[in-house]
Amino acid sequence: MLKINNLSKSYNRGAIKAVDHLNLHVKPGEIFGFLGPNGAGKTTTIKMIVGLLNPDEGSIIVNGYDNQKNPIEAKRSIGYVPDTPTVYDRLTGIEYLNFMADVYQVPPNQRKERINYFLEMFDLTDAAEDLIKSYSHGMKQKIALAGALLHNPALWIMDEPMVGLDPKSSHLLKELMRQHCQNGNTVFFSTHILEVAERLCDRIGIIHRGKLIAVGTLDELRGGEQAETLENIFLELTEQ
Amino acid sequence: MSQFISLLKTILNVNFGISALRYRFTKEKSRLWEPVLIGLSIILGGGSVISLYTWFLQGVYKGGQILNSPELVLILALLACQLMVFIFGIFYVISAFYFSNDMDILVPLPLKPYHILASKFLIIVINEYLVTWPMLLPAIIIYGIGMRPGIAYWFKSFFILLFAPGIPLVVVSTFVLILMRVVSIRKSKDLMVVIGSLLGLLLGLTVNYFVQKVPEDNPQQFIQDLIVSRADVIQSIGQRFPPSLWATYGLARQGSEGWMYFTLYCLISLVLFVFLLWLGNLIFYRGLLAEQEVTRRRKRLSTEKINTEVEKASTPVKALFWKEWKLFLRTPVYAMNGLAGMIMVPFLMLMPFIAQEGKIKALLMQARQPNFLMWTTLSGAGLVLFTSSINIVACTSISREGQTFWISKVIPVPAKQQVTAKLLHSMAISCLGILVTTTVLGIVLRLSLLRLFIIFTLCLLGNLLLNALNLLIDLLRPKLEWNDPQEAVKQNLNGLFSILFTFAALAVFAVLTVLLVKAGISEWIIYAVLGLVMGLLTIPSTAALYALAETQYKKIEV
Ligand SMILES: Nc1ncnc2c1ncn2[C@@H]1O[C@H](COP(=O)(O)OP(=O)(O)OP(=O)(O)O)[C@@H](O)[C@H]1O
Ligand SMILES: [Mg+2]
Repeated sequence: MLKINNLSKSYNRGAIKAVDHLNLHVKPGEIFGFLGPNGAGKTTTIKMIVGLLNPDEGSIIVNGYDNQKNPIEAKRSIGYVPDTPTVYDRLTGIEYLNFMADVYQVPPNQRKERINYFLEMFDLTDAAEDLIKSYSHGMKQKIALAGALLHNPALWIMDEPMVGLDPKSSHLLKELMRQHCQNGNTVFFSTHILEVAERLCDRIGIIHRGKLIAVGTLDELRGGEQAETLENIFLELTEQ
Repeated sequence: MSQFISLLKTILNVNFGISALRYRFTKEKSRLWEPVLIGLSIILGGGSVISLYTWFLQGVYKGGQILNSPELVLILALLACQLMVFIFGIFYVISAFYFSNDMDILVPLPLKPYHILASKFLIIVINEYLVTWPMLLPAIIIYGIGMRPGIAYWFKSFFILLFAPGIPLVVVSTFVLILMRVVSIRKSKDLMVVIGSLLGLLLGLTVNYFVQKVPEDNPQQFIQDLIVSRADVIQSIGQRFPPSLWATYGLARQGSEGWMYFTLYCLISLVLFVFLLWLGNLIFYRGLLAEQEVTRRRKRLSTEKINTEVEKASTPVKALFWKEWKLFLRTPVYAMNGLAGMIMVPFLMLMPFIAQEGKIKALLMQARQPNFLMWTTLSGAGLVLFTSSINIVACTSISREGQTFWISKVIPVPAKQQVTAKLLHSMAISCLGILVTTTVLGIVLRLSLLRLFIIFTLCLLGNLLLNALNLLIDLLRPKLEWNDPQEAVKQNLNGLFSILFTFAALAVFAVLTVLLVKAGISEWIIYAVLGLVMGLLTIPSTAALYALAETQYKKIEV
């Protein structure tokens, strides 16, 4: 579903190597957790997948489409939620969702159902007619989330999606992620909450200083030592 | 006080992007050519405008000398400069005081409202210097070299330069403070702010117009009066707006009288400034806090209501177009900057028409003469083209997306379609401008419908050309890193480039028209040729826009 080959990206003309020859393969039906210390290169990788940044080298295949050669098809397969949800402040919630449905060309019969579904689920029905400017941080995040998932994309890409959500919403989101994968779709998200990764993810990748230093199921990462928590593994791996 | 100084320093830094510039110079050396190129084009473009202006002022100075009142050049420059500050100040003040995002950070700091107000005010003053010094300096130098008034003159000039934007800005700021206080209790504040400030501007212009007009019923008499007493010249012009008069007297009069006027001017400026701070301390925060609050309906929506909203599915281009519209109209800074020009100019045209002065009446009669109609139509078209194309809509249309540009990059809509929506949006606003101005022109000049139609069509083609070019400018160097919307339109060099471009294009068309007329080509063919040239030029410019859209959208990283 998502294939990253030899991906590199540096900032300031090579002064900062944010992502360094990264290889990664995420299979359909998988929830993939992307872990790493601050500044490891998670956001940079995610931005390259969704087309916000151009890679220095390497390729990214989304749903069979190379995102450099077939950007439109690749984008259509992705639902992306950024780490800071800056959406159009001066649209109302419903206007924003309608806009997203239009640009992703969600068919009319589906859009009604899905918009109502997300508004209800995230408790936004009351606020739907208000300007997004008046929303709280978490509400903004939820409307961004709803906008990204309306077209039922094959691949969800989320950068720290739980930050700022209340317990109920983050529980709902986790449920949603599970459901989505059960239908054969894929979720790829970065997080700092190791318990979430531990319980939710089928596979986990740990990135450190731009390099993927570990990838696999929790058991594989433990390497036989059943007692090891993900926290310990993470701390050990990212020690140097 | 030290608190205030550090506040001022920080805001200055942010305002002129000093740290960002330093970062660019030290870290991104490869892009050094960009500031150099920008500097060069400003020097060239600005330089040619200033030399033209200086040349004009020299004429005024010589004329003033003949009339035995050389200080005419000073008062003219001071008046023009203060009018300029007044017109541009109103939007500037509103956006700096009320719509800038740094207020979220500043308000919680242990500062008095007047600290913040004062620092913001001084920032605006410093920004205005960029306009007022080029306007005043030539006049001051021309007078200083011509009259050799001594060292005290230069000393006083320095302070006049510093104080010049002060008084009009205080007037504008007071109006804005009160407007925002009044508006803060209303619903749909954003709209009220736009309407209120536009009305304020029109009111100010009306007052200025009727107060400052020179008695011209009997020009002969007027000039004689001028020659008889030199005091009269200045008084009759600057009478109703004393500050520029005091400044002029302060500069031009010798000895203690000059010093007295000079002190009066500076003192009044300071007193008004203190008054503004006092008023600000009283009402600034209330308006500001109300502005941050967004009206919410908070009423439960029935599913049916949502369903009817949702059913309006449309194509991506249509959806993008309406998004542009909504964001443009709902952001006061954008709406004010985009609409001010097309409202102000027709208004300025209507005013003398309503006032029905002798001279203007004669001029209008002349313009309606059959043998004059071609010139009237052509210059009318020029005027309409100018007012409808001088706006910031197209040249900031990508910049305005700012932090939300990631959406444009992520959605599966080709850049060409996105650019199309933007072009359509800027054309819609241009059309509005063309319609309003053409209508006023029709009323004032009593042009036939056919001629109005010709003006409309020519301007539509011209706007398509200019909007495509302006959009291209923004596509090539969008300014996406900003915190409050006013930076996207006010502190965006693309606006300047667009004005230079538009002037150049208008000049080319004017020259072409004159050449055609001189060649003795008949009226209707001239219109056809102009339309054809504009239409033909549109093809390469839109082609360039579309050719570059895809690569540029890909190149912009966020
Ligand atoms: N716009 C930028 N310009 C320069 N350097 C950048 C930029 N964005 C990120 N970096 C650098 O790239 C590296 C990776 O940053 P990135 O944002 O991908 O980290 P991250 O893993 O998402 O961290 P966090 O957990 O804090 O979100 C860091 O060293 C960072 O300083
Ligand atoms: Mg990050």
